[in-house]
Parts: sequence; structure tokens; C-alpha cells
Amino acid sequence: MARAGTNLRTSYIEANEVLRRPYQKLLIAFIVAFALLLPAGSSDYFLHLINSCFLAGMGALGLMILTGFCGQISLGHAAFLAIGAFTTVILTVHLKMPFIIVVPVAAVSGAVIGFIVGLPSLRFRGVYLAISTLAMHYAIIFLCTTYQARFAASASAGITIADPVIGPFRLRGEFAWYYVLLTLLTVVTVGCVNLVRTRPGRAWMAIRDRDIAAEALGINLTRYKLAAFMLSATLASVSGSLAAYHSNVVTVEGYTLDLAVIYVAMIIVGGMGSILGALLVATFITLLPYGIDWTFEFLPRVWRFGSTVFGVQVGAVGVCIILFLLLEPKGLAEIWRRIETYFDRWPFRYRPLDTSRR
Amino acid sequence: MEFIATVVILTCTYALLAAGIVILYKAGRVVNFAHGEIAIVGGYVFYSSGLMVGDSLWFAILGAVAFSVVMGAFIYAAMMRRVVGEPFYVAILITVGIAIVLKSAIIVVWRAEQVTIDVGVAPAVRLAGGATLSYMDLASIVLTVVFFLALYLFFTFTRSGVQFRGTAENPLLASQRGVNVNFVLSRAWIIAVSAATLSGVLYGGRAFLGTASVTIGLAGLTAALVGGLDSLRGAVVGAFIVALAQYLTVRLIDSVLSEALPFLILLVVMSIRPWGLFGTVEELDRV
Repeated sequence: MARAGTNLRTSYIEANEVLRRPYQKLLIAFIVAFALLLPAGSSDYFLHLINSCFLAGMGALGLMILTGFCGQISLGHAAFLAIGAFTTVILTVHLKMPFIIVVPVAAVSGAVIGFIVGLPSLRFRGVYLAISTLAMHYAIIFLCTTYQARFAASASAGITIADPVIGPFRLRGEFAWYYVLLTLLTVVTVGCVNLVRTRPGRAWMAIRDRDIAAEALGINLTRYKLAAFMLSATLASVSGSLAAYHSNVVTVEGYTLDLAVIYVAMIIVGGMGSILGALLVATFITLLPYGIDWTFEFLPRVWRFGSTVFGVQVGAVGVCIILFLLLEPKGLAEIWRRIETYFDRWPFRYRPLDTSRR
Repeated sequence: MEFIATVVILTCTYALLAAGIVILYKAGRVVNFAHGEIAIVGGYVFYSSGLMVGDSLWFAILGAVAFSVVMGAFIYAAMMRRVVGEPFYVAILITVGIAIVLKSAIIVVWRAEQVTIDVGVAPAVRLAGGATLSYMDLASIVLTVVFFLALYLFFTFTRSGVQFRGTAENPLLASQRGVNVNFVLSRAWIIAVSAATLSGVLYGGRAFLGTASVTIGLAGLTAALVGGLDSLRGAVVGAFIVALAQYLTVRLIDSVLSEALPFLILLVVMSIRPWGLFGTVEELDRV
């Protein structure tokens, strides 16, 4: 099919295409093949890391919908993850529910909490909204702490959860988890990609860019803002629930404000409004502490004082946030776009018409 | 009596933090999420620079002042100045990044040790009603009062104070009239960091410094919001409310709840009177 150029669309069908460039189809095919074959030659430990990345990616997609597309900044993402994890605990430990029921219930409870946390967004925006989600975070974590103090065998060790059972199968081992999580993440990603290019996504982006104008266009702010909060919390909650099953232990100490900040870092570095960016950076930031640990192996022994490694692991995320915000506020997605444009225009250097921005 | 003394001292700590947050918000519309971390690191610097030269209080003070000036000027010049005109969340998230980096500094540089600042003047003063005040407690009350008095005099009577208020009201107009806005804003950061450092030192004198104590920043933020983000008077009142509520919860209900309490107060205030007790109504970024 003849094209007017990669940045210009001449028909509605072209404008709606997800994969606009030929190389993207190749890349996707390559990624799919790679993802399917990856476990064949990898150790259990490596697969464990990848599975953690999948879980983080699902959470990051939730925050990307909320902050990257709808423009509502949230510091409550760790609380949403905690809701998923603690719903799982309550249902499995007290009610002995099976996996097939627990995860949907966790999703629903996430949606309910997302609805509640989203209510302040109808009155505030900006700084005040961020602070109200922060307040919600502490309120939810307080509930979880109280629960854990009352029902855990020992408050410090957390609560153990048995491996999930689906019908006759026991979901156990990193190999099985890998394919389950890969499938779920693919479904969620494809769902998000389609969501943001259809009506709700366009409504969210309109709200992000100018909420008053969006309302004037007939977009129901209340409905779409709450929907973004609910979807975001649902994804986080499912991710939290699966993470609880995956690690077999839940403890409220894991859901600190720092975790919420790490999720915010993922979408900043990934680039606001980029789903691929969110997934890539979720992987990067999940692996970052291990990478730092590995790097320290090569440094003089004096530097490897236990707390130094931990401190650097903590600080690296902060440095990432600051550097990206100062130097590349639009994140990795923008760097990628610039590279694409360079090759599109080659051998010319002039700036293209800015039509590729969505 | 002991109850009053404790609440007053806690109020001092929070009021200093809240004052810094208010000054920064007024000056550049930035809500500083790193305030608690700055305070604690300031306390650590005070502690270490005192130890470096054989337990000298003067060196400790010198170190803390140097930290405040360098830190304040650096944050403004290297980061905040560059993000003017970006979306609101950029500046906030940079302060969140600073918070993380400072927290990691506590771990790397000070090995996350819990330290208590002991200035060597421990003997206490007895008050009627059985309360005892250490000199550290007296110092915190006196220094806080002096700080707020100085702030009041500065903003009301000095030329730079007027430039400050002008910049807070309308930076563009102020710069048109010859005010060096960059200089004013970097001084705002220096003042805010100094207040935080003072508060960190006072807190370290009464309790301890450590990675867990950075939560005082969130209490300070709550105090500032309860009082109104753009009101210094409100900062003191907000600090008193938060301190009182926190003391009562620890005493009467549950110490776990006291950590979440500032935020519960915050939720109540934000749903009833989102601009705070003394804040300007138009200031609020409302939908």
C-alpha cells in the first residue's frame, strides 16, 4: 500500500493502526518468539526476576493509564497493590477460596478502592490530588497493618499463602508462572493499547491535556476520571494478588510509600502516555537493584559494605527520576521517537511536522 | 503540665518544617516532599560536623549552616530553576527524587545508624506540676520563637522581604521591576532548608535521627496544609493541631494509628475546608 510517509496519515484506517511502521511488526514477532523460547535456556533465578518484572509491568500499566493518559497523579499505587495482596490473604487464609475466585474478587475490591480514592479527583487537581492520594495510602496501609498485627502468626514474618490450584493443576515453580504471567500481561497490554486508542483513551487524553476543554466537548469528567482510577487500581490489585501468590508471603512492610514512588518513577522514565515505555522501564527498575548488586561484585571489597549497596540501590531510583525529569521530561518514549524521526528524515536534518504525537 | 510541654515542643518541630514548606509554596508553587529528609540529613550533618572537631557545638552549628546554604542554593540552581514552566508534577516529583537520594545518603554516609544529638547541656529545668524540660527543649522553644519573629520582621520591614512578597505574588511583574527573582527564590530555598535543618537538629535532640524519622516531613506537610499552604500563621496553628492530635492518639488510643493520623486529619480538612484554616481560597487548584 502506498503511503504518504510514516508521519502523515491519509485515511482513518491508517490513523488507527497500532503498528504503523514495518519494523514494528518484525519487532513484535521477534519479541513474541523470544518471550516464548526464553525459559528454555534460563535458570530458575533468572525466571524469577522476569516474573517479578511481569508483575511490576502490570502495576505500571495501571499507573500509566491513570497518570500518563488521564493526567491524575497518584501516590497511592502501593496501597492498591496492598489491597490486592490483602484481599488474597483474607480470601485464602480465612475462607479457603480457590485461585479462580480470588483474583477476580481482588480485581473488584481494587476497583472499589480505586473508586473511593478517585473521589477527591472530582474536587481537586494537581498538588492537592497528589496529597489526597498520599493520605489515602496511609489510611489503607494503616488498615492492612492492623489486620496483619491481629491475624498474622508473627507480625514480622508476614502471612504465608499456599500455591494456587487451578482445577487439577498446582501452579508452582517459576517455569509455570512464567507462562501464566506472560499470557496475562499480554492480554492486559493488548487491552490497554486498544483502550487508549478508542473512546475512553481519547477522553482520558483530553482530560489530561485540558480538563475544562474536555468537559466542553461533552466528556463526562466524573465518569472518566473515576473509570481511570478504578481501572488503575484494578490492574494494581490484580498485580498485587498475583505477586502474593507468586512469592507465597504477604507482609505490609513491602507496601511502603517508596514503592508507590518507584511506580511513579517507572512511568516518568518510560514517558507519559507510552505503554511500551511503562513495560520497558518496569523491567529496568525491577532489575536495577540486582544490577547494582552485580556491579558491586567488581568493585573493591572496601566499598561493598552491606549498607552501601543497599543505599545505592535505594538512591538509584531517585537519581533516575531527577535526571529524567531535568534532561528528558518526556521519558524514554521521546528518545525513541527522536531516533525514529532521524531515520525517517535521513539524510535530511530538518525537523518534521509534529503529527506523530498522539 | 508535662502534656503541655510535650505538645509545645512537638509543635515547634512541626511549625519549623511547615514554615519551610509554606515559604517554598509561596515562592515557587512547589510542594516540597523532601522536607523531612532534608531535616534529618541536616540533623546528621550537625551531629557529624560537631564530632569532627572534638565535640564542638560551634563547629556543629557552622556545619549545619553551611549545609543549609549549599543544599538550598544547589536544589534551586541545579533543579528547580530548570523546571519553571513545565507541568506542575515535574517540580513535585523532583522533590520526591531528592527525598529518595537523601534517604540513600543517610544509609550510605551514616550507615543508617540511629543517633541522638546530645549537646552536652543535659540538666533539666523543673516546672510546676511535675514536668521537666531539658535545655534542648528550652532551646527548641526559644529558637522557634526567634525564627518566626525574625521571619516576620524580615518579610515586613526589610527591602528584600518586600521583594520576596512581590515575587510570591507575581514573579513576572517583580522581575520587570528589577527584582532579581533567581536570587530571591534561591534565598527562599536557603531559608526553608535552614528551618528544616533547625527542626531536624531539635528533633534529633529529643528523639533520634534515622531513616524512620523522615516521616516528620509528612507531619510538617500536613501541618502546612491544615493551616493553609500559603499562610505562615497557619503553619503554626496547623503544627499545633497535628502535634496535639498525635500526642493524644499515642496516649489514649494506639501508637500505630498516630503514624496514619496526620493523614486522617488531612483527609478531613481537605474534604471540609481544602484551602486550610488560613489559606487563600483562590489559591486552591480546584476542579
